[in-house]
Amino acid sequence: MLGRGLKRKLSDYEENMAGLSSAFDSSRNLPYPLKRQLVLNMCLTKLQTYKMLVEPNLHRSVLIANTVRQIQEEMRQESNQQPVNVCPGITPSSHSYTGMESSGISLQLPSGISQQESNCCDLRSVEDPIENSLLIVSDDDMSSAISSILKDLDFVEDISPPTCLVPTGDDQPKFPENTSLKLEDDRQDLKGAECVFGSFEISNSTSYLKDLAIDDIFEDIDTSMYDSDFCCPPLMPPRPPSLATEEPLKTFPSCNSSSASNIQICRTDLSELDHIMEILVGS
Amino acid sequence: FLGAGGGNDIQWCFSQVKGAVDDDVAEADIISTVEFNHSGELLATGDKGGRVVIFQQEQENKTQSHSRGEYNVYSTFQSHEPEFDYLKSLEIEEKINKIRWLPQKNAAQFLLSTNDKTIKLWKISERDKRPEGYNLKEEDGRYRDPTTVTTLRVPVFRPMDLMVEASPRRIFANAHTYHINSISINSDYETYLSADDLRINLWHLEITDRSFNIVDIKPANMEELTEVITAAEFHPNSCNTFVYSSSKGTIRLCDMRASALCDRHSKLFEEPEDPSNRSFFSEIISSISDVKFSHSGRYMMTRDYLSVKIWDLNMENRPVETYQVHEYLRSKLCSLYENDCIFDKFECCWNGSDRQRYFLPSPPCSIVMTGSYNNFFRMFDRNTKRDITLEASRENNKPRTVLKPRKVCASGKRKKDEISVDSLDFNKKILHTAWHPKENIIAVATTNNLYIFQDKMN
Repeated sequence: MLGRGLKRKLSDYEENMAGLSSAFDSSRNLPYPLKRQLVLNMCLTKLQTYKMLVEPNLHRSVLIANTVRQIQEEMRQESNQQPVNVCPGITPSSHSYTGMESSGISLQLPSGISQQESNCCDLRSVEDPIENSLLIVSDDDMSSAISSILKDLDFVEDISPPTCLVPTGDDQPKFPENTSLKLEDDRQDLKGAECVFGSFEISNSTSYLKDLAIDDIFEDIDTSMYDSDFCCPPLMPPRPPSLATEEPLKTFPSCNSSSASNIQICRTDLSELDHIMEILVGS
Repeated sequence: FLGAGGGNDIQWCFSQVKGAVDDDVAEADIISTVEFNHSGELLATGDKGGRVVIFQQEQENKTQSHSRGEYNVYSTFQSHEPEFDYLKSLEIEEKINKIRWLPQKNAAQFLLSTNDKTIKLWKISERDKRPEGYNLKEEDGRYRDPTTVTTLRVPVFRPMDLMVEASPRRIFANAHTYHINSISINSDYETYLSADDLRINLWHLEITDRSFNIVDIKPANMEELTEVITAAEFHPNSCNTFVYSSSKGTIRLCDMRASALCDRHSKLFEEPEDPSNRSFFSEIISSISDVKFSHSGRYMMTRDYLSVKIWDLNMENRPVETYQVHEYLRSKLCSLYENDCIFDKFECCWNGSDRQRYFLPSPPCSIVMTGSYNNFFRMFDRNTKRDITLEASRENNKPRTVLKPRKVCASGKRKKDEISVDSLDFNKKILHTAWHPKENIIAVATTNNLYIFQDKMN
């Protein structure tokens, strides 16, 4: 998007933010906790915006999450050192951050506000325009913001293909005993069938769509119980996700007839399918 | 002659500008990468629309010794198309992130171009002859009536207008879950690496259906992720050595002989933070956006948001030189964070390594160049310690007129001809620059224009 920095009509919110940032940059008198609060709110807003994107930018999300973590750590240390002091009369402004409200970041007074912040509360009544735009954000809010964006980035996952060496153009679809599906982490096990079959789809997507007639393969299999799109070849139980250093080689079965025949070979009967499902689901 | 690098500062003159004149930038025209080939004869650019445009330097006219050859369009082709990943319901952008040339081995030229997910090897070849005089076909391709053929002749090759053809020879796909940010060709000229946010893969140029994963920094639990890979490059001479930089400002040097998966670095380059400069944005501005080895491989250069650093590979705990690109932005970091400019990824480059044809050059890798805002770009001479700020703009477009140095006024009274920080246009950023490998010719990309500058030849 060329939108970054390009002159465009600023909404009220954006004008507000631009004003706050310049205030941060130009004012030496802004108390530190207020500056920190401002930065924190900007970070959380950005994370919120990224969450709404289909594919958030991983680099930026990590940098922003780290900034939030840093502030979170600072605030934790302060609240450990200082006596607890609830700051009266702070209400978050309603005109900003509606996006955050709907996302579930709660706008509540946290139970522990440091001494510094309560002093800062007094100042806030003086610096009204700035204070009114800032929210109080709790430690939990920060943690949940970080987790949720990073978890989102994990959904773009990466199902690593089988690490067996399948030579190209091989007529015999080979599934030797050392075939193991390298499962990235334990959660992948829970994804079960999709995980296994996903690897085939990623590497064979184009030829699969062209070469196969799904209906032909599956017309005699009742898959309603299993809710999976493909049948799979007979497999040895997957090796536990062991040292990543052991299996650096990844291969990508090329899009050619050998993959198509792999799928053909998958006309297993129901009992084998049963067996495989048991292994994958870990029962 | 004047001693190399001493008292003989380069005087830069405008040479050419390529691209649309309008202020209205078409998104597809945004230049995303610029790269000279190994001889400097060819200059490739990639854009957001997935196109590659290659310019070729004219052969020099012996009588016109006052200027080096101009660059004219040699070939244009669509390298990558937008794609849709059905499995993840995501669009894959066709923007060309990087182009790297292979050294020339025969008449054809080869380059690697990559978008976020797929790397392609392109062959660019010339055709300047065609066969004529077929017996059974007319010149326009229609078949002749066999009964009209009374004599036989041997077809001959006749000259034709030069045609430059680009064809994809290899497609390296499906190896990256995250977005590819770098590709780097090994000094063995047989293998290359590709790096995304969390992983680096090693490929053989002939083999497209498999790659080796050599670095993987993805944590088991993504919530623990705190660092990503931002750039990677092979050592220019040691084919087993490569470096990768991170978003935390560190550079790791890895040796592929040590283990198959290079998760443990051989060296870690990191400068301790200056406590007086600490701010909320310290980590963000320390994120390295580019890393480039010097031609000898003894040094490497990194670019972070505010500075360029030169590292000696023998010293891990701090850089040997640091150059401030636009220190006046340090007091504006919050605004730059708000408008996302703080995430801009500037590249950097060294001056060329080989002797110039006419003058003793500045010593190899003695000058570094990088871009800034307001269409300014900066050069630092490592020997004289002098630096210069120049502007890429159509207003300076008189050939052989020396560019006027620019100055930004950080604070206080603005002198005449200075520009104040608040007047800088942060939409006009120079992210990509390239230096001819043998001559003092530079290519500087603004948003959608490519500027070529040369030094003034006496």
